[in-house]
Amino acid sequence: MRNISLILKQFSKSVLLVAGMALCGLTANAQADPAKGEAIFKAKCTACHKIDVRMTGPALGPQLTEETDDAYLTKWIQNNQALIAAKNPKALKIYNEYNQAGMTVFSELADADVANVIAYVRDDWKKQQADKAKAPAGGATAAADSGPSSLAIFALIGVIVIAFIVILVLNKVIATLERLLLSNKGLLVEEEETEEKVKGDKLAVVKKALKNKKLIFFIVLCGTVAMGSMSWVTMWNTNVHQGYQPVQPIKYSHKLHAGTMKLECQYCHTGAFKSKNASIPSLNVCMNCHKAVKTESPEIHKIYDALGYDPQTQKYDTTKAHPIQWVRVHNLPDLAYFNHSQHTVVGAIKCQKCHGEVQEMQEVYQYSPLTMKWCIQCHKRTNVNYKGNGYYDKILALHDAIKKGKKPTVDVLGGIECAKCHY
Amino acid sequence: MDSNKKYWKGLEELNRTPEFVEKNKHEFAEAIPIEEVLSGGGLSAKTPRRDFLKALGFGVGAVTLAACQKVPVHKSIPYLVKPEEITPGIANYYSSTYDGSAILVKTREGRPIKIEGNPGDLLSKGGLSAQAQASVLELYDTSRVKDPKLNGNPTGWPQLDKFVKDELTAIKAGGKRISIVSSTVHSPSTLAVIADFITAFPTASHVTYDAVSYTGIIQANKNSFGKAVLPHYYFDKADVIVSFGADFLGTWISGEEFTSQYVKNRNNKSLEAKKMSRHIQFESGMSMTGTNADVRMPIKPSEDGVALMNLYNALSGTTLPGSKKLTNANADKAIVLVAKELLAAKGRSLVVAGSNDVSVQTLVNAINSLLGSYGATIDLDNPSRQYAGNDTDWTKFVADAKAGLVDAVLFLDANPAYDYYNTKDIEAALKKVRLKVTFSDHDDETAALCNAVAPNHHYLESWGDDSAIEGYYTVVQPTINPVNNTRQAEESLLLWSDNAVKTYYTYLRANWETNLLAKGALAGQAGWEALLQKGFINAAPAATGTYSFALDLNAVAQTILSQSGKIAAGGKYELQVYQTPAMRDGKKANNPWLQELPDPVSKVTWDNFAAMSPSDIKDLGLDEFQVVTIKGVNGYSVSLPVLSQPGQARGTVSVAVGYGRTAAGLVGNNVGKNAYPFYNLLNGTFQTTSAVSVDVTSDIFPLSQTQTHHSFEGRNIIREATFTEYKKNPAAGSGKEGEQEKMYDLWEKSVDDASHSRPVYDWVMAIDLNACTGCGACVVACSAENNIPVVGKDEVGRRREMHWIRIDRYYSYDNGKGEFNVTKEREIDELKDFENVSVVHQPMLCQHCDHAPCETVCPVLATVHSSEGLNQMAYNRCVGTRYCANNCPYKVRRFNWFNYWNDSRFDNYLSNEHTQLVLNPDVTTRFRGVMEKCSMCVQRIQAGKLKAKIEKRPLADGEVKVACQQTCSANAIVFGNRNDPNSEVSKALNSERTYYVLEELNVKPGIGYQVKVRNTLSDLQA
Repeated sequence: MRNISLILKQFSKSVLLVAGMALCGLTANAQADPAKGEAIFKAKCTACHKIDVRMTGPALGPQLTEETDDAYLTKWIQNNQALIAAKNPKALKIYNEYNQAGMTVFSELADADVANVIAYVRDDWKKQQADKAKAPAGGATAAADSGPSSLAIFALIGVIVIAFIVILVLNKVIATLERLLLSNKGLLVEEEETEEKVKGDKLAVVKKALKNKKLIFFIVLCGTVAMGSMSWVTMWNTNVHQGYQPVQPIKYSHKLHAGTMKLECQYCHTGAFKSKNASIPSLNVCMNCHKAVKTESPEIHKIYDALGYDPQTQKYDTTKAHPIQWVRVHNLPDLAYFNHSQHTVVGAIKCQKCHGEVQEMQEVYQYSPLTMKWCIQCHKRTNVNYKGNGYYDKILALHDAIKKGKKPTVDVLGGIECAKCHY
Repeated sequence: MDSNKKYWKGLEELNRTPEFVEKNKHEFAEAIPIEEVLSGGGLSAKTPRRDFLKALGFGVGAVTLAACQKVPVHKSIPYLVKPEEITPGIANYYSSTYDGSAILVKTREGRPIKIEGNPGDLLSKGGLSAQAQASVLELYDTSRVKDPKLNGNPTGWPQLDKFVKDELTAIKAGGKRISIVSSTVHSPSTLAVIADFITAFPTASHVTYDAVSYTGIIQANKNSFGKAVLPHYYFDKADVIVSFGADFLGTWISGEEFTSQYVKNRNNKSLEAKKMSRHIQFESGMSMTGTNADVRMPIKPSEDGVALMNLYNALSGTTLPGSKKLTNANADKAIVLVAKELLAAKGRSLVVAGSNDVSVQTLVNAINSLLGSYGATIDLDNPSRQYAGNDTDWTKFVADAKAGLVDAVLFLDANPAYDYYNTKDIEAALKKVRLKVTFSDHDDETAALCNAVAPNHHYLESWGDDSAIEGYYTVVQPTINPVNNTRQAEESLLLWSDNAVKTYYTYLRANWETNLLAKGALAGQAGWEALLQKGFINAAPAATGTYSFALDLNAVAQTILSQSGKIAAGGKYELQVYQTPAMRDGKKANNPWLQELPDPVSKVTWDNFAAMSPSDIKDLGLDEFQVVTIKGVNGYSVSLPVLSQPGQARGTVSVAVGYGRTAAGLVGNNVGKNAYPFYNLLNGTFQTTSAVSVDVTSDIFPLSQTQTHHSFEGRNIIREATFTEYKKNPAAGSGKEGEQEKMYDLWEKSVDDASHSRPVYDWVMAIDLNACTGCGACVVACSAENNIPVVGKDEVGRRREMHWIRIDRYYSYDNGKGEFNVTKEREIDELKDFENVSVVHQPMLCQHCDHAPCETVCPVLATVHSSEGLNQMAYNRCVGTRYCANNCPYKVRRFNWFNYWNDSRFDNYLSNEHTQLVLNPDVTTRFRGVMEKCSMCVQRIQAGKLKAKIEKRPLADGEVKVACQQTCSANAIVFGNRNDPNSEVSKALNSERTYYVLEELNVKPGIGYQVKVRNTLSDLQA
């Protein structure tokens, strides 16, 4: 549901944007060309500014609409440092408001360019204002398609079940009462007789079957085999959680990040190539992008909340910060020592080999069984990645194996001995 | 040829008492009542079939239900903003300082978990004492003060500051005295803070005292040479070392430093160069240093000074008035021979004495001056700052306070209510003082008498610096945010004195910037950062001057004689109060690692005791551990169990200080008895010897002694030789000479089999018995590295200590003929002389046998051999049959009788949630019912290999260091790859001295020992 509404929202936005652009093309005034301005805006300004919200710099829409002195604005954009040096009161005010972080100097922009940018920003802001006025209607539809909550559904099912039970009980009562009435009238005996006959017939089939010893044996055998294999499988898979896919506190999609966006695994899981722990990224890694990307998403706001970050003021309030409790998907028991870097760096094994095609998983699940059998199987089948690694140069066992034409697998070097993983 | 010398661990083993023989028949101290079950009602009782089935059904059902537990959901909580230097799973090391020694602190995910020596450290050269190893545990001590306190009630810092400042201002206005009482402070910045405080409060003064005082030496140097300093000694430059009761390898001034120096002239390298120092020890109680001496002469405490006078006479050829013979004729003989040795080694000899008496130390100065030791083995110009306490100032302070002359006192790292010799005096004195503040981070004995407790940080939470030796400066940096609401004492002093600098870090930086960085040719921010990384700076040492001794010794001799008369005449026994290497002065009594570390000599844990000579015990008709009441001249008396200590001088009793704390914390409270009140003040210094009476009581107080726990049944496992023999034949004593017994090998055929060959690494160890001093630092280091639980006194008494490495201490006899001879069975009854025993320490740990007897008996293959020569232990496979322990000839396997990490009975030790933070995350904790033993720090081997693999280079020799090896100041343990012929361990094992313990069993142990060599005085017996 949520996905659909998100897609809808995105779709409607883009439609509106196209419409807006068309509109802006119509209303373009002669002196400044907002289309040209847009190109410049996107190339030079978007690193620090947005039109509607404050980023590193102020939200330009309201700012430039309120400020009508274009000469001043041109001067500011072309060389804000000069204005500050000249102690222009307006310039100083905004300079101090933004923690005395000076804006980049754009002396390469001609007056006309600046005018185009200003025109674009003003136009765009106007359109956005207009859109907002229309927005409430869209909002209502969005709320409507959010659908009934699961609680409501459960309540409904509960009511239906209870009603059904009540009907059953009432029927039963009615039947009993009727029978009572009938027995009073002396009509019941007949009915019972007919019933008994039917039962007798049925039982005869069962009795006959019970006398067939082969059948009994067959059934018992089947039962034993079924029960046995079931318990075998159950016990064998006790504590094996292949396919475990817990619900995470933030709906983070690996498919989007690792698949669509093609982010490297270790951009976030920094430890995977250095340490035994791959490590879940700390939130400052998320903020590298999400300070600016998808700032309106409720999932991203969970990150902001956890950090105590206010996207409006862009300030962190550490007193409000609280950690995010992710649910661990891959749980090795404490008695097994596993080191990521040994496998990723030394063994040059792809993450996907053990974790599956994470880049296609909307939500991550445990791909491998993570049993000792699984570990050992791989250690018996995988060759040591010895090429170009000086560590293996003088390791005789490895070379013996290669000389003898055997596969130089991990277990040749003792890779399946107890104390390689258990200490 | 095998040596025919007999070694024994304890008198019960030597005597083969029936209890001992009986006990040693069994692997475990307590019999498992199988026979009872079988012979009693167990088998004859009839269980009806139906009852049996019911029980079975219920049992299966109950177990199934109990197992139907939801799989726990594990949460992963990342940092909100991860500090750049932290990678979860990778340890960070920070340089810091412990007690003047530069150290490295290993932290994981922000918590310090292990202390390691800084290889560049001037003092211990990368080794560390047991105390330093254990110090990390104190950070997580649950008995630490959590908040500042006013009149015993927790309060906040602002309230405390207001109270203290108001009081101080009022006292200053009244012109009354303010005293800062501390144990020796050798941090230059702390001293500067105290100086600033004194400037702000002109009536303030700084009184320094040490619980175990060295005033005698300092005062004697002042008298002799005009320099009131504790000299810096060089044992490595001395060929002949004579010690009169100074435990210089253990507790005397700077044990770790002296150990590393001392061993330089006795280790493999030195022996191969045919060079070995000679060490002669005269002492009353058997000290750790005494156990390492080549010749050890027991003398009474009262004869300490007399023996020195005799030595002086022999050296100078004069006779001091009042000189007399010693009661031990052998010792007299030895002194003459020692004098000859010393004179032959002029400028390469050193005489030290443990006494705190000014006269005795003056005489020692005279002797060292005669021998030309000053400028050679003793340095007065770059002195030690480790102890600077002044007994006179200290007792004067107490007297003044008692007289009401002091209005405020601040205790910094001082606990006089426990360690002052006269408890009543200190209590009376403190009652008269208006403002009493202690910076103690524990609610100790003194804190109970104070108005305010301003808890100090643990050193791992602090900024600071240190200077143990003149010219050597180290830095202390925090490795964790403060665990409790504590504040650094220096910062408190800065705040209370309204210093312009409010934070100690700023103060420290400024002090280093202006005064200290330049000494290490550093400057500015870059210099400071370089210092933090390196941990220390070493200024060029001052040139040594020449010192000549010119005092009149007649008066000195008179004092010595009168004092010795007092000790000898007072009562029947002479008491010597000493420190144990684990507990020292008792400040760390709340540390369970130290309490459970067996004393190097007595092997007693969790207690102190009255050590007496076995002959005296026999004369008194005492049983082992029978309680005696010792009463001092000042009326103080304690009741302590008696311990028969071979080597103890007859007519003497030794009692350790550091015990008997009443307010140390959960662990240390009421462990043993306090011996400080036996101190007495004589000629301005505290004397550790006095006359006492010994009264026998009928009580028995069993001590938990580990010495005879894991008996070898008198097998020939210690090998030793004299230096003379060694020079003739380097293989002397190793058992290699003569005919070798034919060995048979069950596995011979399978040597080619890959499963029994070790193609890449063969991890082995070499232990030099000549270097090992028996201090036990390795035991604590191993505990910290491998998450070894502390089990407590009761469990140790049941032989259930869990240490993976133990130091076995063996006694043997000198029959007085110069040959340490066989002591045959029953011969013990004829032996009269329990005093002349020699001692060998042998670290014993899993030998990682190639033909390990434990492996063949395990029914579940929980212990198997690796292709790297390691005897592996898979805990989760172990079902606890304990067959392996039974079959281990070295007795190094340990069984988890309890779930020590999650059992409320062991809360006081390590298994509370706070102290569990010290656990090494790379090593699993073991569950109840599982065997464990030394793994040769396999986690370190694996980490080392991985590092080499990632860096794409072969693993270098010495790169992987096991925990016991790393902490050993004596470098007695070498670990490495036997397959590499150039590795240190291969070289060590190729030495002629190498032998393998119980080699004849052909279990092919992976640990080689090197014969103990003793540089005996061969003329002594002539």
